[in-house]
Amino acid sequence: MKKIFPAAFSYLLPFALVFISGCNSVQKKDFTEQDVALEWAKMTLYITQYTPANSPTFASRGFGYIGLTMYEAVVNGYDPYQSMAGQLNGLENLPKPVPEKSYHWPLSLNAAQASILKNIYLQTSDENKMSIDSLERVIKNYFSDKLNDDARVVRSIAYGKAVAEAVFEWSKTDDGHRGYLNNFDKQAEYPDRPGSWQPPLFAQSFSHYPLHPHWGKNRTFLKQNSELPMPQMIPYDTLPDSPYYMEFLKVYEKDMALTPEEKEAAIWWGDDPDVTFTPPGHSYYLATMAIEKANPPLIKCAEVYAKTGMATADAFINCWKWKYHFFSERPNTFIPQYIDKEWESFWPDPPFPAFPSGHAIQAAAAATVLEDSFGKSFHFTDKAHEGRERDEVRDTDFVIRSFDSFWEAAQETADSRFYGGIHTPLDNKVGLEEGTKIARNIIALHWEKEDQL
Amino acid sequence: MRLFGHTLFLFCVSLLNSTVMPAQTPFTDVTVEAGIAHQFSVYEGTFGGGATVFDLNNDGFEDLFITSGTTEDVLYLNNGDGTFQNIYDTSGLAVTRDYVTQGAVSADVNKDGWRDLFITTINTTDGSQIIPRAKNLLFLNNGDMTFKDVTGAYKLDEFNSFSTGPSFGDVNADGYPDLYVGNYFLEFEGTLGVLKDATIVSANQTAKGYLLINEKGNYFENDYEAYGLHHRGFGFGALFTDFDNDGDQDLLVNQDFGYKAVPNFLYENQYPKRSFIDISKAMAMDLKENAMGSAVGDYDNNGLLDYYVTNIKFNLLMDNQGRGKPFIDRAKELGAYSFAISWGANFADFDHDMDLDLYVSNGDLNPNCTPMGNFYYENTDATFTEKGRIVGVNDYGIGRGSVVFDMENDGDLDILVVNQKPVRDYPVGSTTRLLRNDAPKGNWLKVALKGIEAETNGIGSRVKVVVGATQMIREIDGGGSSHLSQSSVIAHFGLGKATKADSVIVTWIGGKKQILLDQNANQLLTLPELEDKKLNIWMVVPILLLGGLMIGYFVLKGRKRNRAPSRF
Repeated sequence: MKKIFPAAFSYLLPFALVFISGCNSVQKKDFTEQDVALEWAKMTLYITQYTPANSPTFASRGFGYIGLTMYEAVVNGYDPYQSMAGQLNGLENLPKPVPEKSYHWPLSLNAAQASILKNIYLQTSDENKMSIDSLERVIKNYFSDKLNDDARVVRSIAYGKAVAEAVFEWSKTDDGHRGYLNNFDKQAEYPDRPGSWQPPLFAQSFSHYPLHPHWGKNRTFLKQNSELPMPQMIPYDTLPDSPYYMEFLKVYEKDMALTPEEKEAAIWWGDDPDVTFTPPGHSYYLATMAIEKANPPLIKCAEVYAKTGMATADAFINCWKWKYHFFSERPNTFIPQYIDKEWESFWPDPPFPAFPSGHAIQAAAAATVLEDSFGKSFHFTDKAHEGRERDEVRDTDFVIRSFDSFWEAAQETADSRFYGGIHTPLDNKVGLEEGTKIARNIIALHWEKEDQL
Repeated sequence: MRLFGHTLFLFCVSLLNSTVMPAQTPFTDVTVEAGIAHQFSVYEGTFGGGATVFDLNNDGFEDLFITSGTTEDVLYLNNGDGTFQNIYDTSGLAVTRDYVTQGAVSADVNKDGWRDLFITTINTTDGSQIIPRAKNLLFLNNGDMTFKDVTGAYKLDEFNSFSTGPSFGDVNADGYPDLYVGNYFLEFEGTLGVLKDATIVSANQTAKGYLLINEKGNYFENDYEAYGLHHRGFGFGALFTDFDNDGDQDLLVNQDFGYKAVPNFLYENQYPKRSFIDISKAMAMDLKENAMGSAVGDYDNNGLLDYYVTNIKFNLLMDNQGRGKPFIDRAKELGAYSFAISWGANFADFDHDMDLDLYVSNGDLNPNCTPMGNFYYENTDATFTEKGRIVGVNDYGIGRGSVVFDMENDGDLDILVVNQKPVRDYPVGSTTRLLRNDAPKGNWLKVALKGIEAETNGIGSRVKVVVGATQMIREIDGGGSSHLSQSSVIAHFGLGKATKADSVIVTWIGGKKQILLDQNANQLLTLPELEDKKLNIWMVVPILLLGGLMIGYFVLKGRKRNRAPSRF
């Protein structure tokens, strides 16, 4: 993981803090505008990974608000781009810059990101909050020194903070605020019928309760996304020639014949929230990679993060709504009962129902956004888990992956859950389809003024 | 849980059978007639409980302390006539009502001749805490069937932990029993005042265990790191055991979620050096499982202790290959391999045929529970056959800790299994069961150690019985064998048709040996530790001088030989 946090990591070390605050000359030589966006994305990924009890659901929400805040902190400086205020679910107004006054937008972005990150991740450690402050200070000092216009600096920072606080206030009413305090509802009653989800025996989590059962009721960023029709699930059946049985038989047969490459994909996309930046973090990471490679203007960077964050956040809300509607079993429940009693999935079960796949839906959402921003053909190498210690349990290394398109990566994300033995092909297929729809709605927002024409 | 549909079906069949004709089984459920009325109540999730077997009043009949979780624990005094009475109210243990108790073990902590009691906890019962943590409890036995809470006096009140399995051992062979305590979630120091979100979200992180060294019976000192223990995991406790037959107690640590957090550990004691070294990997004991408990026993009577590790789905039988060689899991090959969620396990020669059978306690994970029967693996020529239903021990309660002891001193081992109260609807009863062994026809021998320098009951020592070509070894159980529990400290041997044991060999902790020859079968042999004779200085000096001269001679001779040119 180290590779993706080159600069952010240096702020974490206490001696570096002293060094930086005591002697400005050792800062990074030059921050481009894009660097500011990238540094904050990397810090966001770091906080996501190193905050305990994080979950893919809560993390996706964080990326949504943090990405949006980045966009809103700068959008008024970049005509013809326009604010999302008035376009999102219940977000009517956001602070506007004072006309005729000049702003330094990277400074606004810097202040806004520090503020929203600390507010969304209220529960992160004091050390992590110090890292956020430290990054904010380094970037602020760099640009303030160059500007030599105190009033403009103060104004820009104040504006950024005001935007972040407004977004945070709005976020509090979505039912996901401080959601980490309610990861599991121990009082809730769950369906118990043939084919219903059972607590995993080969588990990623010690909880025998399913994660965030009410997450699907949270407010989506986009109203249209909450109105998408329910996807179709095939009926439960235990007869060996039934479509239902065949879904699980495919998982079983694949698992019995996994190639080394498939095992590598299975562990690469695992993105276990206990040890990594979670699956939506992987999407935010891919956005970061694309930005680093394409180096678009700052507003475009912010737009990509806003779209990726909101698309994956809405994907998780819908996915959880459907997961708890169908409350469907995992292969680890069906296969030992009807196919092979000793069978166990390659990858341990996450603590929530199967249909549709959360990995697939959010990967498709992110890929759809990134294709729209950077084109269908885009070669990149994913180094998210480069250098991670070999997975001894599964006798498999973390091997970096190259793709020629974002969709290729999304497809592998979905497939990897099939290889891991925790999702059926149908879980993945529906996940990819629905994630695409969700992202298209996000893309269809009026990001630029002429969009309204 | 429909995974267990097949098991459930078997269960229904057995229920049907039992209503049609009363079964004559080798084990008889005597819970009710013995006066045992117990059920463990979970705090939340699936943790607890266990029992310890200990003769609290030294009357020769072993008594029981059983944890009850959120409800009142029980202290069953053995009346000696097959019945028990709960003397908890008058025992001075009332403070345990304030705690969610988990496991229990007993040893003579202060060497006054009476068994003391250590109880692990995960929370207080007053509902005041958002994050469950509490101190563990130590009670000294007053010798009059009452106990005194000495948790603070023994410096154990500073550990605000979520503790699971405790075990007594004697890592430094000083005769004062030390403790290992497994912790599941990280400890919080001091009391938790105003809780920040950051504290709440970090609550479920992995924990170190405790290695509490008994400082001459006065207090305990946590020397976990000082002894070189290093792991942090989801701990279910550990077992002190001399796996390499070198006379000191090594440590086998059980970890839940070994495939995700840290695996099981095997630490080799470097006694007399005060340290352990981690040899888990080299010995293939770094099991990445949901290890709930372990039973120790030499199932094939080859002189090497083997370990049965309980797990979710399938258990492991780690077969000892001898010093320096990795263990091999032979559970499937040998037949001790059946689908369940297992917790307690006990090796014992239930049928007195001179090999160790295996009892396994099974139970689902509250609150989603499907019944699963307990296992009884009968040992025949070092292979196992599951006969839980046939022998009458396949209770379908939500099993956790299990202990074996001779409840009525008739020479065979009976079983007590602690069952949890189901949180939701459950098709059968789930209360703690006492199963009296009426099976064995063969002869037996029981050996009770009386330590003088060693722990009072010989915890940490081992007994070997040789009958003809067969040698059987037992370690004196300090707890941690099974799950959250401790069985009898009296070593028990089935002798088959033999009317005598050719020899009984005790290896006291630290390596001192004591041998008795030609001991009659069907008796309880009480074996006091022989005191070390004070060495006479006038005898020692000439011996040392002579020894020194001899060594000098051989060294000189060896040097000369080394100096000779090689012929090759």
